[in-house]
Amino acid sequence: MADDGDLLCRSHADRGLEDQLFDRERHIRYLEMNYQILPSPYESQEINHLTLAYFIISGFHILHALDRIDREAVIDWILSLQAHPKNEAELNNGQFYGFHGSRSSQFQSVGNGVSVPNNSHLASTYCALAILKTVDYDFSLIDSSSISKSMKHLQQSDGSFMPIHTGAETDLRFVYCAAVISSLLDNWSGIDKEKAKNYILSCQSYDGGFGLIPGQESHGGATYCAVASLRLMGFIEDDLVSKCTSSCILDVPLLLDWCLQRQAVDGGFQGRPNKISDTCYAFWVGGVLKILGANKFLNERTLREFLLTCQSEYGGFSKFPRQLPDLYHSYYGFTAFSMLQETGVNSLNIELGISTIHHTNI
Amino acid sequence: MHGRPRKSATPVDENASALKAAKIRSLQSQFLQNHHNNIYTKEAQEINAKLIESNPEFMTAWNYRKLAFEHNLSNQSEVDKEDADHIKLIIDEELRVVENALRKNFKSYGAWHHRKWVISKGNSSTERELRLLNLFQKQDTRNFHAWNYRRFIAGLKDISDEKELQFTTDMINDNFSNYSAWHNRSVLLSHLLEKKVEGYFPKEIFLKEEYELVRNAVFTDPDDQSGWFYHLWLLDQTIKVDMPNLVSSWPPNGSEITNTTFPIVLFFNEPVEGVNLQTVSVQVEDDIFKNIAWSPLSANKFKCGQAWLTHLTIPFGETNSSKIFQVKIRSEYSQGIISSNGVPCSQHWSIAFRVSVCHDFQPEGQSLRRILMTDENFSTVDINSNVMDLFKSYFELASDYEQPTSSKWKSEMIASEIDQYRELLSWAECKIGKLTLARLLMANDAIGTPVAPNTTHVEEVLKLYSELMELDPTHYQYYKDEYSLVFLKQVASSKESLMKYCRQYKESTSSNITGPMCLRLNSLSLSRIGSFERLLWVQSLDLSHNQLPSIEGLEALQLLSCLNLSHNKIGSFMALDPLRFLKSLRVLNISYNEIGAHTVDTRRYLCSSPLSHTLDYDKKFEEFAAGDEKVVNFWEAYSVFGGLDIMQLDVVGNVAADERFKLFLVKLLPALKWLDGEEVH
Repeated sequence: MADDGDLLCRSHADRGLEDQLFDRERHIRYLEMNYQILPSPYESQEINHLTLAYFIISGFHILHALDRIDREAVIDWILSLQAHPKNEAELNNGQFYGFHGSRSSQFQSVGNGVSVPNNSHLASTYCALAILKTVDYDFSLIDSSSISKSMKHLQQSDGSFMPIHTGAETDLRFVYCAAVISSLLDNWSGIDKEKAKNYILSCQSYDGGFGLIPGQESHGGATYCAVASLRLMGFIEDDLVSKCTSSCILDVPLLLDWCLQRQAVDGGFQGRPNKISDTCYAFWVGGVLKILGANKFLNERTLREFLLTCQSEYGGFSKFPRQLPDLYHSYYGFTAFSMLQETGVNSLNIELGISTIHHTNI
Repeated sequence: MHGRPRKSATPVDENASALKAAKIRSLQSQFLQNHHNNIYTKEAQEINAKLIESNPEFMTAWNYRKLAFEHNLSNQSEVDKEDADHIKLIIDEELRVVENALRKNFKSYGAWHHRKWVISKGNSSTERELRLLNLFQKQDTRNFHAWNYRRFIAGLKDISDEKELQFTTDMINDNFSNYSAWHNRSVLLSHLLEKKVEGYFPKEIFLKEEYELVRNAVFTDPDDQSGWFYHLWLLDQTIKVDMPNLVSSWPPNGSEITNTTFPIVLFFNEPVEGVNLQTVSVQVEDDIFKNIAWSPLSANKFKCGQAWLTHLTIPFGETNSSKIFQVKIRSEYSQGIISSNGVPCSQHWSIAFRVSVCHDFQPEGQSLRRILMTDENFSTVDINSNVMDLFKSYFELASDYEQPTSSKWKSEMIASEIDQYRELLSWAECKIGKLTLARLLMANDAIGTPVAPNTTHVEEVLKLYSELMELDPTHYQYYKDEYSLVFLKQVASSKESLMKYCRQYKESTSSNITGPMCLRLNSLSLSRIGSFERLLWVQSLDLSHNQLPSIEGLEALQLLSCLNLSHNKIGSFMALDPLRFLKSLRVLNISYNEIGAHTVDTRRYLCSSPLSHTLDYDKKFEEFAAGDEKVVNFWEAYSVFGGLDIMQLDVVGNVAADERFKLFLVKLLPALKWLDGEEVH
């Protein structure tokens, strides 16, 4: 009897492993659900509406299911969130004219001559442009010069960026946003690249990773922002590991060391030493390795196994194994599988954080 | 069960959720109304506080609080203004709202930022902030917002680095896995060292204690990463050479060469900038040459380079047909040579060599025979032959530059660490321990004598990397790369070890293109190459049958005229970019690699391209590639080979090397005589 029991257990376990495949169909359904109506846990995040939309729409694209969205409606909604200066002179008033994160942070014009506060935010602007790129919107129709011109006001004397002209913390996240915005608009006039570069380099810690601000402990997300920004600005090349490590502006061997040590024994990636593995760092750290041309060093099999333990039975991915999924971790789960070259999944432009697959440059 | 909604909510849940949503919506619209109309009444501020408590991420709400705060301060009555307590009340209220928000979301960027903003206004108690931090940091020891805030408060309130260091010691004693505490320790010690605070300068004073502290952690749980990372920092602090210096050159000091036009290469221990006419002088006999242009030898567009190059032509006429010229290269203003992190070079050096001019040189390769680098074309080097002369002078005289002397404490400290970790590995199977020991051993060898490398521990290091390759197959490639570099360091360390890999060309093969000798590093399963500073003399190099994906650094070997890279893992022409700098290259074998086998990354929108005109010879490209859809592959080949005078090329065995591509090469390389073994007409 005891033997039978063991056998039963084993066959059950085996079946468990067989089921462990990337379930694209279910992920699409998860996104559809979120696309139609934002679930209640997100209600307090209304102000980040654009960011959530970014996860959903770019997520559809990565899953090869962009046909599930109403492209025109998406474009109209996004464009409606853009802040426009009344005239050319306003571009010099120190405000940033980008995109609002949501309807509620966009004050409705009251038409009584009172100036309407402008709450454009760098992260929302990044998300808005990323979505527009994802749905293949014609960028020549965007008023890109007012974005670039006014974005200049957000850069600080140390090279970092503030996300909103009314004031907030400055760190690498917003340097990254500014770099992506410039790259997507193909207009670098809004950023002093040399200053931004120096700020980024001042954030590299002794262990090779980057902190969000100078002196901060290295962090997976910050490291991504640093490396992706340098790549977008053209300060580093593709495939650094096999090319120019000694003459590179970065300490590449140390950075490589730090990134590789972030793959934990369970196969997943952690954001910092001695933290538990978390789905999203498969993208943040894995993406850095990919940009460096060092993804051959990571253990893809165990990473895949870890990620599948975070794949929800309802579709989507959770932060940690066997928890409920959320949009953020789902999106970075999809991007991780894209980097693992899962079939049926579109490839990714790592630095931009989206798939630009329908845009061929040649 | 596909597509089932995430959770079937109970009616109670739904009600609660709907209520919450309605509440937030109502708060939000009231708040925006107030914000819009600049209303800062008590009630308005309370609405804002409630909103922030339920959503601390709302940046606009925090910015409203800043306006309200300033409004409160400026609208005090005259009596209140005198009253410090009243100001304190306003600040306290503000800090209370932040604290509540932080309790709701400890990771709220907006809340932490607001707190910094309020505190920067002054009039607040340092003690309270530290109390709050101590409380929060005990609950969430890794929260980087709290650590950032701690560093901010310490800076603002002038809390001494020593005091903060003690806090990290306490945190580490609580839990040595707390890497955030280790990290802050490194930041604080760097400050103390920089400011030369008594007890922390010179650095050997604190390093010893730090090694002990980290040893306690590592020996308690060798599998914990935190201590090891900190150890890496300590090791770096220990061995760091504090300034850039010259490590080798071509021509070497004391040598005699016979070409009248030749490259001069200066090789530094790290990338530097500022090598120019002001910093380095070139003197031929009594004339200081003023038309010398130095350029960094690196594949990227920055001004820093580890190797610097110029070309010198000795002016001589018919009258002095046989003469010896003395050439002297000297550092004139070494402080002008600066490392990439801004440290000036303070070492003075001078390289003197002779150029003997004679007229009977042979014209180059009018009738080039095909040069083969196979075993039957080589013989062992005759130690008594004159080919050895230059070779000897290079290794016997190269150590003449003045080198910074390394302190005794460094070797002692590292030797003691080596003992400790050998001991650890005797009872613990620990990958990162092995890696650390390998690094310690290499550091030990490196600090002894920088010019004639010490290879005492190379065998042990190679063994450690071999073990790691087996123990940790995921990072196999990484260890293999390290193994290759250490192996090459050993090969290049002395004349004797190099001789084992040198072969002499047989009479029938030898030409002024190959030079008399070939360094044969073939079939060694190398995945990376290095130690170029010891190989500047190499004219002929065989790297075939290895596993090289790139040849980074090879550009320093300016004499290189014959290069065999066949049977490696070169994946694209871009990986051959260093060849662009090798203007002496005549014979090249890149057959049987993986060029064209991988999909080309079409996102190279920032790399040099035919449209960006970054190369001086790229304007001709259009005529070469006209109408060909494989333009990307062609462009890459063009950018690498376009400026070279290659006479013999082997590309067979690469996906990219089809007939059309070969036609392209024939057109591109007018000097080409042999392509894949066939004579070009």
